[in-house]
Amino acid sequence: MNPQGLMDGLIAGTTIGLGAVGITLTYSILRFSNFAHGELISWGAYFALAVAGLLGAAFGFMSAPIGPFSFGWALPIAAIAAIGLNAVLALVVDALLFSRLRSRNSTVIIMVMASFGAALTLRNLLEFTFTGKPQYYTNALQIAIRLGGGIRATPDQLLSLLVAALVVVGVHLLLTRTATGRAMRAVSENPQLAGLAGVNVRQVIRIVWMLGAALAAMAGVMAGLLIQIRPEMGLDLLLPLFAAAILGGIGSVPGAMTAGLIIGISEALAVAVVGAQWRAAVSFVILVAVLLVRPQGLFGRAE
Amino acid sequence: MTDGIVLSTSGLVAGYERGLPIVRGVDFALRGGELVTILGPNGAGKSTFVKAIAGLVPIHEGKVFLGGTDATAVPAHEKIRHGLAFVPQTENVFASLSIADNLRLAADILPRPDRAGRIDRVYGMFPDIADRSGRRAGALSGGQRQMLAVARALIVEPTVLILDEPSAGLSPKIVGEVFARLENIKRSGVAIVLVEQNVKAALAVADRAVILVEGQVRHEGTAMGLADDPLVAALYLGAQRERAVSPA
Repeated sequence: MNPQGLMDGLIAGTTIGLGAVGITLTYSILRFSNFAHGELISWGAYFALAVAGLLGAAFGFMSAPIGPFSFGWALPIAAIAAIGLNAVLALVVDALLFSRLRSRNSTVIIMVMASFGAALTLRNLLEFTFTGKPQYYTNALQIAIRLGGGIRATPDQLLSLLVAALVVVGVHLLLTRTATGRAMRAVSENPQLAGLAGVNVRQVIRIVWMLGAALAAMAGVMAGLLIQIRPEMGLDLLLPLFAAAILGGIGSVPGAMTAGLIIGISEALAVAVVGAQWRAAVSFVILVAVLLVRPQGLFGRAE
Repeated sequence: MTDGIVLSTSGLVAGYERGLPIVRGVDFALRGGELVTILGPNGAGKSTFVKAIAGLVPIHEGKVFLGGTDATAVPAHEKIRHGLAFVPQTENVFASLSIADNLRLAADILPRPDRAGRIDRVYGMFPDIADRSGRRAGALSGGQRQMLAVARALIVEPTVLILDEPSAGLSPKIVGEVFARLENIKRSGVAIVLVEQNVKAALAVADRAVILVEGQVRHEGTAMGLADDPLVAALYLGAQRERAVSPA
């Protein structure tokens, strides 16, 4: 693979990695595969689009590009708002659907099927509100910068890499160095014992939804910035997200990010070697291979 | 608080499903610094009784009082803030967390300035786990896990410590060590409720014993008196008394 392919894979992998961190957190603590996580990514992208549009309409100067980037101050502000709005959306979905099922001690399969229902509803609501037409945060064209070694990347792509790296380090530190992180790890292992130790399990679940939704919003904004915004953008990412979460080892934040990068690079490699039509198969092959050979993933411990 | 009572129940009816009570109208009182053991045959409702007190099993009727305050509806995660610590029979440590993180987790509900001191204090009480603080709790032996579980419960300096069969799965030598620690904890002023199948070992450390049969109190008295009561032994303890493993 040429170095540029590696770079393209790395950039695609950051979006997958960020989404996979959200998947791995919600899976390890809520204990079911949330198939609506892809829609949280889409909603995050659209929330940012709506807020950036409003800001741009109200304050024209906010749409003017910042330095070498393709976007103005409206987008970073809108991304922060999208994180908050997405967290609220996740809490509403939990309150309306998942918390009710938890209170009835519903089985995992019921939770998974409910998440399929939530995904369909959220996706169709997006399409109803924003239409299915692809949209963009900016129409400005960017010239890629030469980075040496035959590699080029746009300033937007480099910023995405940096933001993703900072977010993953931040989430890892949150989990390993703070009381909230300890409580999350405790609930992940044994919710009842965590309660006996004084941990408010319901509160931890709310934090996990908010954190997962915040990471999904970041992934959505990045995907929207680097590619385009569509109601199906989250659905298209779902298989790579789960493949990355499982390859990294469920519950491992660095594992999910590393695996996201591996999947991004593998997809780029597949495009170069066997053709773009096989790109989508890469995640599936990796997912099956991991489940057969090392089901605990790269960073997970064998049960 | 009346007459030094730190924990009491009145007419407690509890069970996983309404209409199928396992605990059926239990009145119970525990004084400060007292060690009371709950005995009875399998299925008597011993564990369900203490789990109901801890907030893990629904209470259908009756009341639980902690230090004179009605704590019947207090959720499990708030009971620790009311001075009640509960150590379950199994899965009583976070195996994936380090020993230090198990203790830090328990200390997180304390004011920040108190945390390090409390952790150092329990390390002083349990030097075995202090030497291994960076290791995963899952790598500890059964006895060390039990010590860690008790240490974690003691971080908050509870008034009441409930232990659900702490001897389960442990060798007689380790049971002896665990129970010796319980006597030390009792001497420090913590009231203890000890649910046990190991009757002889429990009666050896307890001040009083309560015998539950079919979810009701059938007998209670001093541990010494109960140990020598052949009628009670024959009726409720049966062959267990013969099989009981004495601490080494």
